[in-house]
Parts: sequence; structure tokens; C-alpha cells
Amino acid sequence: MITTNTDSQKNEKIVTINCQFLNQMKLGSEFNATACINCGTCTAICPMEINLLPRQLFRYVLIGAEEKVLENVNNIYSCLLCRMCEENCPAGVHIAENVRSLRTYINREVYGLSRS
Amino acid sequence: MSVKKIGVYICECGGNISDFVDTERLRIEIAKEKDVDSSMVNMFTCSDAGQQKVIEDIKEKHLDGIVVASCSPKLHLGTFRAMAKRAGLNEYQYTQVNLREQCSWAHTHDMQKATKKGLRLIRAGIAKTLNSKPLKKLRVKTLPHVLVIGAGMAGMRAALSLSDIGISVHVIEKEPEVGGMTKRWGKMFPRNKNGYELVEKLETELKKRDNIELLTNAELVEKDGHIGDFSVKIQVKKDHFFSLKVGCIIVSTGFETYTPTKGEFGYGLPGIVTLPEFEELLAQTDDGSKMISYNKKQIKSICYIYCVGSRQNKMMGESAHQYCSRYCCSATVNTSNQVHEIDQTINQFHLYRDIRTYGKYELLYTKSLEEGSLYFRYDEEYPPSVSFENNTCTVVVKDSLTGNQNIKMNCDLVVLVTGMIPRTNKQLANVLKIPIGQDGFFNEIHPKLRPVETVVDGVFIAGSCQGPKNLSESVASSMAAVAKSAALLLKGYVNLEPLVAEVDPNLCEWCGECLKACPYNAIQITEIENKKIAEVVPILCKGGGVCVPACPSQAISVKGYTNTQISSMIESLAKNVDIIDEETNEEKKTS
Ligand SMILES: Cc1cc2nc3c(=O)[nH]c(=O)nc-3n(C[C@H](O)[C@H](O)[C@H](O)COP(=O)(O)OP(=O)(O)OC[C@H]3O[C@@H](n4cnc5c(N)ncnc54)[C@H](O)[C@@H]3O)c2cc1C
Ligand code: SF4
Ligand code: SF4
Ligand code: SF4
Repeated sequence: MITTNTDSQKNEKIVTINCQFLNQMKLGSEFNATACINCGTCTAICPMEINLLPRQLFRYVLIGAEEKVLENVNNIYSCLLCRMCEENCPAGVHIAENVRSLRTYINREVYGLSRS
Repeated sequence: MSVKKIGVYICECGGNISDFVDTERLRIEIAKEKDVDSSMVNMFTCSDAGQQKVIEDIKEKHLDGIVVASCSPKLHLGTFRAMAKRAGLNEYQYTQVNLREQCSWAHTHDMQKATKKGLRLIRAGIAKTLNSKPLKKLRVKTLPHVLVIGAGMAGMRAALSLSDIGISVHVIEKEPEVGGMTKRWGKMFPRNKNGYELVEKLETELKKRDNIELLTNAELVEKDGHIGDFSVKIQVKKDHFFSLKVGCIIVSTGFETYTPTKGEFGYGLPGIVTLPEFEELLAQTDDGSKMISYNKKQIKSICYIYCVGSRQNKMMGESAHQYCSRYCCSATVNTSNQVHEIDQTINQFHLYRDIRTYGKYELLYTKSLEEGSLYFRYDEEYPPSVSFENNTCTVVVKDSLTGNQNIKMNCDLVVLVTGMIPRTNKQLANVLKIPIGQDGFFNEIHPKLRPVETVVDGVFIAGSCQGPKNLSESVASSMAAVAKSAALLLKGYVNLEPLVAEVDPNLCEWCGECLKACPYNAIQITEIENKKIAEVVPILCKGGGVCVPACPSQAISVKGYTNTQISSMIESLAKNVDIIDEETNEEKKTS
């Protein structure tokens, strides 16, 4: 194996992109978070004080970082779907809808539950 | 005819000068100088009313030379020369003394000393005008014929437009084919026309024109003469030479693309290509094929690394390409949109430092986001790493959009978005003597006001030989060069500054020192009454005066800055100014 410019990554954790996951989420296409401007309103307003900031979660989903999504299954299920964030998001991201579609994915892929 | 009656006009510049220099006091002292027949202080000499006052004064007192002590000549030399002309004077018997930038603005803390310095400067100006001679602009005839060097898009477009205007053109291209870089590209932003088709279209048109002569495998080897009338020697293939006369020259020799050093972002490993290499691959890919292959392998994911060879840190040394290459963000985003069109299932990752799809090209970026391209932002200090294993490339990037976490992606192809670098064109630069900027590209006189002219009169630069430009910018600058050429040639003549060197045949001993010193080949040898002496070709001389200190016999000097003028100025500067310390009679009376 030949590698270049590795100095910057020494001893640091690496998140791997999973193209299959990426394509699944793309194909589902209910998930839309590209509009997020990283303002943090959703985090400030969330009554559950969820550990993982929605915008971080969305970024993980967007770039296909499946491992990060799976690490945060509990957080994803802590959401009340109260839509406080969605009402206040200046970029019009369908936050609650996104969480819902993520749960569909996890139900299917992690818990083996399917709709049919 | 030297000057005997001088008028001195001191400007207050609305306080810019008079707040720090005692202008009225200066006028009183200057009025005492021998040969000064008139002196006046004005609030704004450059205003219409101010100029009118001066003109009336000159006519009324029959003055034959003037000094204006005001701002920098950079600002108003032209204004006051024209004023002198309207008053019936020779415009070269006018001297501008810089009382603002070189006196009031520099010495805001001590009015008395500033006034003393002002007195010295004005005295020197008087000395210069006193020893001035009337000069006439040099008038040169122009030939309605242009040489275009480089038949890329910029050069070909220039040739066609000149031909439209009725000016005949010789186009020389050093390669066997025309089209430059553009002929290599497929669909180009912003309208997705194929590069090679654009080239074909211009080439066909070019060959139809009677007044355009296209020569390939051709290069310029010698240039002589001057603006309006250059003699050029052209080499075709290895052994064929011919000469030509042209009125001006347009240089459109383009750029080169940066080649990464071996190992830079994995360059040299399989699956790692530059943007130009990838674009050539795409240009050869059939639109209907619905897939892209590289080395017979179908591509499912592509990672673009931006700013390779551009925006380099100056710590890398003098050769660092510190500038942004301008075209590459838009070209890459456009390319990824093309890829999406061919095969929508390909995953595309963009690793950028800043996205600079400026102006209308922003829409290309929006489109690529909508089409699912993913963007990751890296910092200059943490460049992405690239490796190759098991037939795939792996790229790791510290992504500031994901909280500076390291993100790893596997891809079939890594595209290094390489920038534009100056073309090595030593011979051409030597022959034409076009100055080269810090970044290595050809330099214009003024980026805003004279964007295609060079310090070599009659030699224009156009297209990407000036610096990174996309196609429409390259063509726009070539159109500017066409306009400048046509304006010059259709008028039939040019007027040039007469401030050139001149040899005193009595003093010259022909030692050849001035010839060695002159960077413009403006000195030649001639014979007067069996005596060999130096002679200046006024049209070639730039009046830089490098020859003046080189001459051991003080035989050569620059008109308007003659040895007599300069030494009398030095004497005047050195004269006593203590008089400023004393009170004037008027002050004595009032106190
Ligand atoms: C990968 C890539 C993709 C691009 N995509 C786009 C795009 O999509 N849209 C867009 O607008 N722009 C694009 N560009 C930019 C575009 O290619 C340039 O703007 C354009 O080629 C500039 O044209 P030019 O005539 O100035 O220079 P060039 O194309 O470089 O032509 C210069 C010509 O001069 C000749 N020459 C050089 N030296 C001499 C000499 N001494 N004597 C005689 N002839 C000489 C050369 O052989 C060449 O034929 C892209 C550039 C690159 C690298
Ligand atoms: S409120 Fe909307 S835009 Fe702001 S961080 Fe949350 S999802 Fe993004
Ligand atoms: S145009 Fe974009 S890729 Fe090219 S040098 Fe500038 S910022 Fe980098
Ligand atoms: S340097 Fe002076 S003396 Fe020598 S050739 Fe030139 S003008 Fe004549």
C-alpha cells in the first residue's frame, strides 16, 4: 500500500463513508438536509436536550457515515417528533420528517422490521 | 531658445498644501527670484477657473515658461501640459513641482521647515524650466497589419475580428494544430458547447478569410522597429525563415496546466488523474454510453481534490503559485454535472478549500448540490491523504463541515483539480521584452485602466497568457486587444513622447558604453565628418536614461532632463533658504 500526506490523520479517529448506505438514503430521497445552514436553532430549542445535534446527525446521513448513524440509534429514538425545531428552522429543513425516515431505515436494517 | 520670463503658480490644493506649507510666504520669496515675472497662489489650480486664471496671466505677461507647484505629476501632468498649450506655450516648457505628496503631506508637523523645503523644490522647478527647450511630439506612421502570436481561442478570435474591421493579419502558431487548450475539452461551461467544436468553427472561418494568413509550426525569432512599424522574422518548421512588417503585435500564447509532483496527492498511482486528463477522457466518452470507464474499469465513485497547484503557501518559496486559478472550481463543478448526466449512479465527492464558482457559474454549483454531489471542506494545513490498495483509491479528509472529523472514502477515481500556470516562453519573452509579473504571467501596464497594453508600445497581450482566465474572459481580453490595435492602426499615425536620449556629436568618442547599457537597442553607430559617434533611434528610446551615467564623456542626455537641467536643479536645491526664518516686511509692519 502506498500512502501520501498522512501526517494529519495520525492517531485520529476516522469515519468511513458507506456508499451503499449513501445510495439507499439518496434513493429514499424523503431525507432532505442539504438546505441546513448549521445555525444551531434546532439544538437550542429541543426540549429533550438530545445529545447529538440534529445538524450533526444530518451531516452524517448526508455524507453516508452509517457507523455514526448506528452509534446514535438511542438519540434518534429520543426525539419526541414535537416539531419545535422544524417550526423554527430558518432553512426550512423537515427535521422531524428526517428523523422519521431515519427510524424507518433503522427499523428495517437494524431491527429487521419491514413495512409489508 | 531658452526661457526668460517665468510664471510660478502655487496651489493650495484646498488646504491639502496650504494647511502645512505657507504658500503665500513662498510666493513672496519666489517673486524675488531672477527671471520670475509672475507668481500667484490659487486655491485649486486644476479647476477650470484656476486654469483660466493662469492662461490669462501667461498671455498678459507674455511668459515663455511656467512652473506649477501642486500635486504629483502622476495626477495632473497631462492637465497642466494641455493648459500650457492652450496658453500658447510649448508644453515641454512647463515643470510640475510636487508640493503635496513630496512636501505638505510628508511634513505635517512643522510648517516652517516644510515651507523651506517647498522653497527649494520650487527653485529647482524654476531652474528646470529656465533650461528647457521647446520639444515636439514624435509622429510615427502606422501599418494596417497585425501579427497575432498563438492560435488558441483568444488568438483566433482576435484575428477574425481584425479581419472584420479590414485589417490584415498574420497568425503564427507554434504547434502543428490550432486551438490551444480548448481543442482538448468536451462540454465546457457555461453553455456546454464542445471545446473541439468551438475550435473547428473558428478554424474553418479563419481559413476562408483572404486577409488572414495562418502559419502553423511557426515562431517569432526576431523583432525590430517600433510601434506602427515593426519588422519581424518568423521561423517555420526548423529551417524556413521569412520577414514581415506589421503595425502592432498581439500576444495570445496561453497557459500551461500544473503537473503535480510525483506523490503529490498520490499522483503517479493508478486511478489518480488530473482534471485535464479526466476532461479528455470525458470528451472521448460517448454521451449515450451511460457509463464512464477508466482503464477498462467502470467508475462508480469519483473524488475531486481542489486547488492542486494553486493558492500555494508562500512558504513554499518563490516558485509557489499563490494565486487562484479561477477557472477550476467552475470547470470541476461543471464536469461533475456532466458525469451525472452520463451516469446518475456515480457518487461524487468534492474536497475543496473554498468554492469559487463566481458570478453566473454559481448556478452550476447549485445544480451539482441538487444532483447529489457531496462537498467536504479541507484546510490548507491539513491536505487530504490519498492511498491505493486492492484496486481502489482511498482518500481521507479532515472535514470542517463535519466538525473537523476525519472522513474516509473509497473511490474508483481521484481527480486532482490542477490550476493554470504560466507557459515557459523564454524565447518569446526575450524577443519581445514583455515584462513578466511576480506570478510568472505576462504583465499589463495597469490591470484596471490599461489591461491589455504592455510597456512595449504596440505590443498587446490577450487571453490566458496574462493570468488565469476562463474562455469568455480570454476572448473578452482578446477583443480589447483588437480594439486597441484597430484604434492605433486605423488612425494612420501615433504621437510619442519626445523625452528621449540625444547625443552631443562634439563630446561623443564612440566608446560604445551607452549601447551596452541600453535595454531597448535604441543606440546605433553613425558617422559624422569621418568621426564615429553614437546615435539614438528616438522611436526605440524609452527615455529611461540608463545610458546617461554610463557615458564617460557626458555626451548623452535625455531631452527634458538634460545634464544642464539636472545640475542647475541640484544647485537650486542646495541654495540657502534661511530667508524663511526671517520675518517679511509685511509681518514686521503688522506686529
Ligand atoms: C481542464 C480545463 C478545463 C477547462 N474548462 C473550461 C470550460 O469549461 N469553460 C471555459 O470557459 N474555460 C475552460 N477552461 C479554460 C480555457 O481552456 C482557457 O480559457 C482557454 O484555453 C484560453 O485560451 P487562450 O487562447 O488564451 O490560450 P491557449 O488555449 O493556451 O492557446 C494558446 C496558443 O498559443 C500557442 N503558443 C504558445 N506559445 C507560442 C509561441 N511562442 N509561438 C506561437 N504560438 C504559441 C499554443 O500552442 C496555443 O495554441 C478550461 C481549462 C482547463 C485547463
Ligand atoms: S435549525 Fe435548521 S438550519 Fe439550523 S441547524 Fe437545525 S436543521 Fe440546520
Ligand atoms: S478556482 Fe477553485 S479550485 Fe481553482 S484555485 Fe481557485 S479556489 Fe482553487
Ligand atoms: S557612451 Fe557617450 S561617448 Fe560613448 S558612445 Fe555613447 S554617447 Fe558616445
